[in-house]
Amino acid sequence: METIYSIPFYVLETPKLKLKKPSWMVMPSPMVVFSFVLLSYFLVTGGIIYDVIVEPPSVGSTTDEHGHSRPVAFMAYRVNGQYIMEGLASSFMFALGGIGFIVLDQTHSPSTPKLNRILLIIIGFACIIIAAIACYAFMKIKLPGYLMS
Amino acid sequence: MGRTQTKSPSTGISSPVGVKSLLVFTVLLLAWMAGFLSRLFAVIRFESIIHEFDPWFNYRATAHMVKNGFYNFLNWFDERAWYPLGRIVGGTVYPGLMLTSGSIHYILNLLNIPVHIRDICVFLAPIFSGLTAIATYFLTKEIWSAGAGLFAACFIAVVPGYISRSVAGSYDNEGIAIFALMFTYFLWVKSVKTGSIFWAAMASLSYFYMVSAWGGYVYIINLIPLHIFALLLMGRFSHRIYTAYTTFYILGLICSMQIPFVGFQPIRTSEHMAAAGVFALLNAVAILKYLQSVMSQAEFRHFFIVAACTAAGVVFLAVVGLTWMGVVAPWSGRFYSLWDTGYAKIHIPIIASVSEHQPTTWFSFFFDLHILVATFPVGLWYCIKNVNDERVFIVLFAVSAVYFAGVMVRLMLTLTPVVCVLGGIAFSQLFEVYLKEEEPSRPNGGDSSDDDDDGEKNSRYDKAGKLRKMKHEQQATNDGLGVIRSMVIVAVLMILMMFSVHCTWVTSNAYSSPSIVLASYSQDGSRQILDDFREAYYWLSQNTADDARVMSWWDYGYQIAGMANRTTLVDNNTWNNSHIALVGKAMSSNETAAYSIMTALDVDYVLVIFGGVIGYSGDDINKFLWMVRIAEGEHPKEIRESDYFTDRGEFRVDSEGSTTLLNCLMYKLSYYRFGELKLDFRTPPGFDRTRNTVIGNKDFKLTYLEEAYTTEHWLVRIYRVKKPDEFNRPRIPVSQRKVKRRNVYLTKKTSKKRRGAIKNRPVVVKGQRPKAKPT
Repeated sequence: METIYSIPFYVLETPKLKLKKPSWMVMPSPMVVFSFVLLSYFLVTGGIIYDVIVEPPSVGSTTDEHGHSRPVAFMAYRVNGQYIMEGLASSFMFALGGIGFIVLDQTHSPSTPKLNRILLIIIGFACIIIAAIACYAFMKIKLPGYLMS
Repeated sequence: MGRTQTKSPSTGISSPVGVKSLLVFTVLLLAWMAGFLSRLFAVIRFESIIHEFDPWFNYRATAHMVKNGFYNFLNWFDERAWYPLGRIVGGTVYPGLMLTSGSIHYILNLLNIPVHIRDICVFLAPIFSGLTAIATYFLTKEIWSAGAGLFAACFIAVVPGYISRSVAGSYDNEGIAIFALMFTYFLWVKSVKTGSIFWAAMASLSYFYMVSAWGGYVYIINLIPLHIFALLLMGRFSHRIYTAYTTFYILGLICSMQIPFVGFQPIRTSEHMAAAGVFALLNAVAILKYLQSVMSQAEFRHFFIVAACTAAGVVFLAVVGLTWMGVVAPWSGRFYSLWDTGYAKIHIPIIASVSEHQPTTWFSFFFDLHILVATFPVGLWYCIKNVNDERVFIVLFAVSAVYFAGVMVRLMLTLTPVVCVLGGIAFSQLFEVYLKEEEPSRPNGGDSSDDDDDGEKNSRYDKAGKLRKMKHEQQATNDGLGVIRSMVIVAVLMILMMFSVHCTWVTSNAYSSPSIVLASYSQDGSRQILDDFREAYYWLSQNTADDARVMSWWDYGYQIAGMANRTTLVDNNTWNNSHIALVGKAMSSNETAAYSIMTALDVDYVLVIFGGVIGYSGDDINKFLWMVRIAEGEHPKEIRESDYFTDRGEFRVDSEGSTTLLNCLMYKLSYYRFGELKLDFRTPPGFDRTRNTVIGNKDFKLTYLEEAYTTEHWLVRIYRVKKPDEFNRPRIPVSQRKVKRRNVYLTKKTSKKRRGAIKNRPVVVKGQRPKAKPT
C-alpha cells in the first residue's frame, strides 16, 4: 500500500507547505445554530419575503373625516397583505411566545435557587401570556370578526 | 378533544404496557374522529359536493377510470380539453389519487356496499387526515417520545394549515400526499435508526406512493439527500445511513420512474440531481472509510481531505457539465421561482397570477398554525440541544419548510406537519417537566402551612450532610412553586383550548366554502344560497350542442368540463402558456379583434364571471389584469398593460377608466345591459358593488356576440358567438326594408280576410249544393 501511492512522489517533489484549517472554521455550537434559525424564523414569519417581493410601505396611512392623514399600523381586512412594521411586530410576538416556553423549560434544573426559579417561571409565563393576548389583539384588528361566528 | 389526555402516557412510565397502548389507541382514534368530523362543515352546510376547481378534474378523471378501467384511463386522450390540442390525460396526471379512491370503490363494491364514486371522492381527504395523524404519531415517536407523538397527532388532526387542503369535498392530490409525505419520513427515520434494508425498502415503496400522488415528491427526494449530506458534514457517517440511503435511493429511483408523468425525469432534470450527487458522495465516503481501515492514521488524514474535495468537485462538475451539454434539463421555472423569489413576477405571470403562489404574510402563519407558530422554535430548540441522527432530519425539514412557506402561501401545507411535530415535542416536554416534579412533593402533604416549618428545618439542617440538604431544599422549593406551577399548567391548557377553538372557527369560516356554491348571510342571520355556477353549467349542458366549445378564463375550465361536460379551450392544467395567452388576448382586445381570434379557435360560447351585482370579488374583472399580463407576455405588440390603466396608473372601470379597457371584450361581456339595471334605491343604475363605482361605459351593443344566458344573480354570463352569416349583412333602414310576407299566394286565392285557417277544414263553395245531404 505504501509503495503504491508513493509512486507519484518519485517524480514530484512535495512542496514544503502546511495547510491549516482556518481557525474560524469550527463546527458551530448548537446554540449558535439555534439562534440563527430563530432569527431567520423571526424574519420569515414576519413576512420578509412578502416585503421584498411586494414592497409595501412600512406603515400605512388613511385620511380621517377632517382630512388629516393618520398613520395606520395594520392593513385591516386584507388577509394577503401587510405593512412591514405590522409583520415584524407580530413575528416578534411569536418569537416572544417561543422564548417564554424555553424559559419555562429552564426552570427545572435543581441547582438554581428558589427565587430565581420563581422569577424565571414568572418571566416565561408572562412572555407566553403577553404573546397570546397580543396575537389575539392583532387578529382582532386584522379580522374584526375573528372568533365571532 | 382528547388532547389533554396525552399527558398521561407521557408521564405514566410505570403503568403497564396494556394500559399505555390502550391510551395511545384511544387518543389516536379520538384524533382521527376529531379530524374527520371537523372537516365535515361543508358537507353539512351545503351538500356532498366536490369543491373548487382542480378537484373537479380529479373527480372527472376518477369517474372516467372507474367507468372504463385503469388501462383505458392511462391511455385516455381527452379531446374535450384544450381545444383544438386535446390533452393526454394518462401521461400528464399523477394517478395516485384516482387509484386510491378507485380501489376503495372497488373494494366496497366487492363487499356489496354500493357507494357512489362521488361520495368516496368527497370523503377521501378527511379519512386520510386520520391516517396522517397516525403517521405523524409514529414519526414523532421515533424522533422524540410517544407522548410527543400523541400531541403531534392531535395537533395535525385539527390544525387549519392542513384542514385548508383536506376538507370534505376538496378532492385534491395534497389530501393524500401529506399522509404519504409523513409516512415516508417516518419510514426513512426508522431506516436511519435501524440501518435495516427492510425499512429502507419500505421507505422507497412509500416514496413510490408519494410520487404517484403529488408533484411535491421532489421535496422528499431533495430533503433526504440533504439529511445525508448534513450528517456527512457533521462527521456522523455510519453504515446505518449508508445502507438506508443506498437502498432507498436505488429502489426509489426505479419506482418513481414507473409513473408515466414522471418518466425519465429522475435521471434527467436538475431537481433530482442532488440525490444522485449525494449518492455518489456517500459511496465515495464509504470507500474512504474502507481505505481508512487499511491505512495508518496520519496518511489517511491527508488522503481523506484531498479525496473528499476531489469527489465533491467531480460530482459538482459532472452535474454542471451534463446540464450544460443538455443531457440534464435545468431547473424548471416553478422550482426556480422558489429560489429567486422575484423570478415568477418578472418571467412567469401565469404562476404569479395564482393567489396561492403569493408570498406569505404574518397573518397566514398565525391563521394556519395559531399557538404552534410560537412553539415551533421551542421544539426546534429541544431537537438542536439533544441532537442525534434523526433529529438532524427534523431540523432540516423544519428549516427548509419554513423558508418555502414564506415564499408561497400554498407551501404552508408542507410546513404544517413539521410544526405539529415540533409543537408536540415542546408541549410534551413542558408537561413532563411541570407535571412530573410535583409528584414527589405530593405525599409530603400539599398544605401551604407546612411551608414555614420546612423553611426552618431547612436552616436547621444547613450544617448537616450535603445530600440531605439537597433533598429537603428540593421539597421546599416544590411546595413553594406548586401554586405558580399549576398556574402555568392551567394557562397552557387554556392556550391549547384556544387553539382548538381557533381551529374550529377557522375551519368553519374560512376553509369550508365549496366556492361553487356561495352563501351570503343577511342581517337577521338567515342564509341565502347563491347557486349560480351550477345553474349556468347546467344550462350549458342542457341547451348547447354536445360538441359546443366554450371559451372562458382558465380558472373555470375544469368546472365547465366536469359539470357541463362541454369542450373548453384552456383549463387549470396550465401546461400551454401560449394558448392561455391567446384566450387572454381575445378577452382583452376589442370586439372585432376578439371575434377573429374566436372564429380561429372555433368558439361557440363565451362564459364570464361577473360579481358586480352581488359584490363577489373573485370575478373576471378583478382577474382581468392577469389576462392582460399573460397576453402581453406572448403578444407584446398588440396588448400593452399600460393601455388598461388611467394616466395616473389606476385600474378603474368608471368613466375615468382608459378607453381601451372600456371597450375590450371582457368589459363588454361583463357589463352588457348592466347600465339598465338599478340595484336599489340609493345607487344610480349601473352601480358595480364589487368595485363600488358606477361603470363608465353603460350604453353599448354587441355586434358579434349575443347574450345567451345570465344566471339569477348575474354571477355567470354566457354569450353565443354569432356565425359570420348572422351579422355580416349590409344594414337597411327600416323604412326601406321590403319584408316578404308569407302565404301571400294562399290568401289571395281564398280572398278572405281571415286571421287563421284550420287545415283540412271542409271548404264551403258558394252556389253549389252539397252532393250528399245529411238528412
